[in-house]
Amino acid sequence: MEARRQSRPGTDAADETLDETHPVIDVQKLTKRYGRNTVVDGLTFTVRSGAVTGFLGPNGAGKSTTMRMMLGLTRPDAGSTRIDGRAYHELRHPARHVGALLETAAPHRGLTAADHLLWLARSNRIARRRVGEVLATVGLTEAARRRIGTFSLGMGRRLGLAAALLGDPPVLVLDEPVNGLDTEGVKWLRELLRAMAAEGRTVLVSSHLMAEMSLVADDLIIISRGQLLAGTSMSDFIRRHGRTYVRVRTAEPLRLHGELEKKGASLRLVPDGGLEIDGLSAAEISRLAAAVGVPLEELSTHTGSLEDTFLELVGKGGSDTHV
Amino acid sequence: MSETAAAVRAEFTKLLGIRGTLVALLLFAPFSLLIAALGGWSAKGAIESDSPGLRSDFTPQQAGLDGVLYGQLALIVFGVLIVSSEYTSGMMRVSLLAVPRRGRLYAAKTAVTAAATAALAIPVTVVGYLVTQLALGPHGASIGASGVPRALAGAVLYLTLMSLFAAGLAATARSAVVPLAVLLPMVLAGSQILSVVGATKEVVRYFPDRAGMRMLTVGADDAYTGFAVLLAWTVAALALGSYRHHRWDA
Repeated sequence: MEARRQSRPGTDAADETLDETHPVIDVQKLTKRYGRNTVVDGLTFTVRSGAVTGFLGPNGAGKSTTMRMMLGLTRPDAGSTRIDGRAYHELRHPARHVGALLETAAPHRGLTAADHLLWLARSNRIARRRVGEVLATVGLTEAARRRIGTFSLGMGRRLGLAAALLGDPPVLVLDEPVNGLDTEGVKWLRELLRAMAAEGRTVLVSSHLMAEMSLVADDLIIISRGQLLAGTSMSDFIRRHGRTYVRVRTAEPLRLHGELEKKGASLRLVPDGGLEIDGLSAAEISRLAAAVGVPLEELSTHTGSLEDTFLELVGKGGSDTHV
Repeated sequence: MSETAAAVRAEFTKLLGIRGTLVALLLFAPFSLLIAALGGWSAKGAIESDSPGLRSDFTPQQAGLDGVLYGQLALIVFGVLIVSSEYTSGMMRVSLLAVPRRGRLYAAKTAVTAAATAALAIPVTVVGYLVTQLALGPHGASIGASGVPRALAGAVLYLTLMSLFAAGLAATARSAVVPLAVLLPMVLAGSQILSVVGATKEVVRYFPDRAGMRMLTVGADDAYTGFAVLLAWTVAALALGSYRHHRWDA
């Protein structure tokens, strides 16, 4: 196995033992139309192992549709998705390979939690003891014999996660797993995903909340209206898009405005009469104001929230692609 | 093959866990046996009182199959529910995640529907016949009487095909409402027509239940024709259901 990999580095896509640098999930030119509506539009990205990848986009951006195509539920109109080089339906015992959580894939309400996991285990030849183990992992041991119809939203979500974890899969594909979880559950999930990635698994998590992703994701894939806006590491994204600006208030904004523009700063007049300045540090602005004799009433440095940056990016992407 | 076997096993586990579907299946037994006993008992009374309440074509042998004819309603509901419950709950997507090969999932479900129906139909058909004869007392017939074993076997086959027909229609409709609205009146009206001699029209003979009924008619000379017609209906319904299942954009 080792010799083979060395002789053909990176070419053996179907090999089950992939090294960490090899993309595990490979989405190529994926397209899905519903009538005249293009929901996913030539989407291409990859997801690596050993990291949590956040799949971000506003509601209706095409995240769920992409994931459903990834998991063989929905047929793409064009393009392909591969997991370790294979289409989902080609995977032998897929639940042992990919753990999936989808909003629309809901277990029958008449089943008990344990029975639901039991038939899932049998369908993929997973040891029965795993049922008890994953119920314990998600904290549903007490509810094992209860019918799913009696579950709260959060319990249902935990059961869905238990089902995803049942086959101890190296790949997790989770659609909005945070929805319905309480604060404690969100924290627990975050730790679980971090631990899964640390074990070398591939974790793809969708969300429409940048703030949530910034706490858990190593990599980001941002889409809007079915198109890729950014595929980057979280740290790169913050460095490039995390906006730092200086806020200034003065009695003579116009004079300062002219001086700052000469220095190449970009400015924005905000409704309360203050100025937001990009491209110069607070110290530089302070020196400049003193040099030209404009008294400053306020001088402070701000970092725009990632959520704002994300919304700005998504808004821009939207208007760029659909003129 | 092992994956198909696993899928079949999973479908059985589901069946045992989903109460509504299981109840519909199991109701077949008490329903059939109760009618088998009542039918035999009231026929005995009619014979002994010499009243005209008895059908002109009454035979104790044929009366022994009346129970399952009414009981089939439960099996039809079962056949519909085992499929429709997956679509109405979102369960079908979970099933497809676990068994993404659609042909395999469909085959597993069909196999479990057939096996569960047959497993229950065999004892209930035999016991139902015996219960009717017991209730008929001195007027009862033997289970070994001419044409009876074939009619009993035909009944088991008929019941199995009817529940598969129902399952095929449910897969085609992806819901319970339309198949039940079509099947239950058809079978109920069909059974009534059966009890009214000479009231059958030419075209109704080729309805799945009416054609299939020949299979469980003692001494019928067109039992195999009836079987062929019902089989054709069942295969067509399952094929259409399979097509719709494969085409489903989940």
